[in-house]
Amino acid sequence: MFVQLLFLLSAVLTVGCAVAVAVTKNIMHSCIFLLGSLIGIAGLYATLGADFVAVTQIMVYVGGIVILMLFAVMLTGGKDFASRAQNLLGLAPTMGNKWTYGIGLFVGLVFLLTNIKLLSSIMKSYPEKTFGNEFPSTVSQIGHLLVKDHVLAFELSSVLLLGALVGAAIIARPRKQ
Amino acid sequence: MNQTLVSYLSQYEFYDVLLGIFGKNEGLLAFVVYLLFAGAVVGLCATIGGLGTYAERKISADIQQRIGPNRVGPYGILQFLADGVKMITKEDVMPNTADKFLFYLAPMLALVGVFATLAVLPWSSGFMMADLNVGIFYLIAISSLVGVSVFLGGYASNSKWSMLGGMRGASQIISYEIPVTISILSITLLAGGMGFGTILGQQLGTPINWFIFHNPFAFIAFFVYFIGALAETNRAPFDLPEAESELVSGYHTEYTGMRFGFFALAEYIEVFVVCGVGAALFLGGGNLPFNVQFDIIPLQLFQVVIFMTKALLLYYVVIWIRWTFPRLRVDQLMSICWKYLTPIAIFNLVGNAVWVVVFNGKSIADLVFGGH
Amino acid sequence: MISLISYLLISLVLFIVGLVVMISRKNIVAILLGIELILNAAALNFVAYSRFVTNNLDGHIFSLFIIVVAAAEAAVGLAIVIRFFQIKETIHIDEATQLRN
Repeated sequence: MFVQLLFLLSAVLTVGCAVAVAVTKNIMHSCIFLLGSLIGIAGLYATLGADFVAVTQIMVYVGGIVILMLFAVMLTGGKDFASRAQNLLGLAPTMGNKWTYGIGLFVGLVFLLTNIKLLSSIMKSYPEKTFGNEFPSTVSQIGHLLVKDHVLAFELSSVLLLGALVGAAIIARPRKQ
Repeated sequence: MNQTLVSYLSQYEFYDVLLGIFGKNEGLLAFVVYLLFAGAVVGLCATIGGLGTYAERKISADIQQRIGPNRVGPYGILQFLADGVKMITKEDVMPNTADKFLFYLAPMLALVGVFATLAVLPWSSGFMMADLNVGIFYLIAISSLVGVSVFLGGYASNSKWSMLGGMRGASQIISYEIPVTISILSITLLAGGMGFGTILGQQLGTPINWFIFHNPFAFIAFFVYFIGALAETNRAPFDLPEAESELVSGYHTEYTGMRFGFFALAEYIEVFVVCGVGAALFLGGGNLPFNVQFDIIPLQLFQVVIFMTKALLLYYVVIWIRWTFPRLRVDQLMSICWKYLTPIAIFNLVGNAVWVVVFNGKSIADLVFGGH
Repeated sequence: MISLISYLLISLVLFIVGLVVMISRKNIVAILLGIELILNAAALNFVAYSRFVTNNLDGHIFSLFIIVVAAAEAAVGLAIVIRFFQIKETIHIDEATQLRN
């Protein structure tokens, strides 16, 4: 029951904050709502039994990416920042009238129903499978997978991170006059 | 294994009696047990945070040959209650141009980030709320919410001092997270797991089995961790975000009343948590210094006392450092982190890995005294 | 109550919201926010399928790599944003026209 409660709360947090990201005018508030959404996704991971992924999500996003985004917003708050603040509600009237929106909605609905029909065989209530008891936790299982099956991707991601680190440092460095 | 407080208590007979009282509803009973324990832990930590302010003043007074607070209660020990009452009854002022939403949110985030870490703090081998198998990783991750709150507090106040303090605080916290995390990672390597139960289970017995004495690299890692933790909690000599001689009081300049109280409380509790983690990872936590074959509740309480003693000793060292060393400059702060601590931490990590492979995970004590 | 479809629906909403944010915002940082939402929608799908359909943890590995890629992307993207701001003194996406024609 607590898992279901956690799922419900996380889902509401995720979806609500994601929608808030889209409709908020203030970019700073958008970043904070993104933070809420990401924490909600971590909660969803927890309901799926993916504890390591959930914690990694919090670690990387809260400790790194959101703070980076806040820094970027603060460092780039230019003078025409407020006047050009634009969001979904401000943009909606300029993208079409009620006919175009109606047709778009109809097409989307048909597309959704078609997809659900096509995928219905997959969706048909898979029984909850338990993970093998070979490993005591997902942590050691993930560790074994990372250095056995996925070792190439693991090593490549370290190269990617090093490249991103050096590249970001070089790009953001002020140009020497 | 995901051992929890409830699964620990359920091995005793009185738990079955309780279960009978709750009409065999295990979920409800687990909820009540967790709620009570969480209330106890939060109350205890709030008291520790409050007493921390008192201890800080008293110790600083000792160091500077003053008397310190001595009016409220015997030896002034109730000073923190008086401070609390003052904070609650103060007028709650908000700057006109402040960002209301973020201004309200920032102190809450700080408190949430700190209190959430208490869920995995190992008070003893049985009394921890949840022994997650990602325990220490969870603790590092969730405590980074404090960094966000420092940044937001600085931004939302719409004041130059707050802004500078918030920027300094956030950059300092995310920089020093790296050596701290790598030091903790080397301990994880030695223990073979991230859960506090696993880590503490490797350090049973006499102090020679503590991870700080496991090998020379772990010994260095402890000091890297401790210095980094000082910086992460914005303590002197790394208290640049709230440097009172430069920035009034940094990111919480514009906060008054209980909102300021939240920030202060979060800071003092975070110092305690960091000291507790240091004690658990490197100094054997609440492990008894002798082997016992049985497990009873008073023994667990004794473990709690041992854990608290170690953590509070580290707490004392933190305060001692604050009143002994001068504050660093910003460039010195960053060069210490990136030029010294991070390379040393990476060196420690590699050294620990090599040690584990070469000596098959045995500590120095095992090698010298021919242990298992 | 909790089944695969509920996770897929949440992931769908996240993806659509991310897409809408990417399209409707003119601020480069906001566009990066939208990209983060989309990446998270994909990662959530992987973990959900790994729980309900397959019997192994490959989905977890995939979502870990997605998080890694998102971190690298955010670092480089925000560096570009800051550089762009130093040159143009704005981060309006319509001002990025130097490569036009």
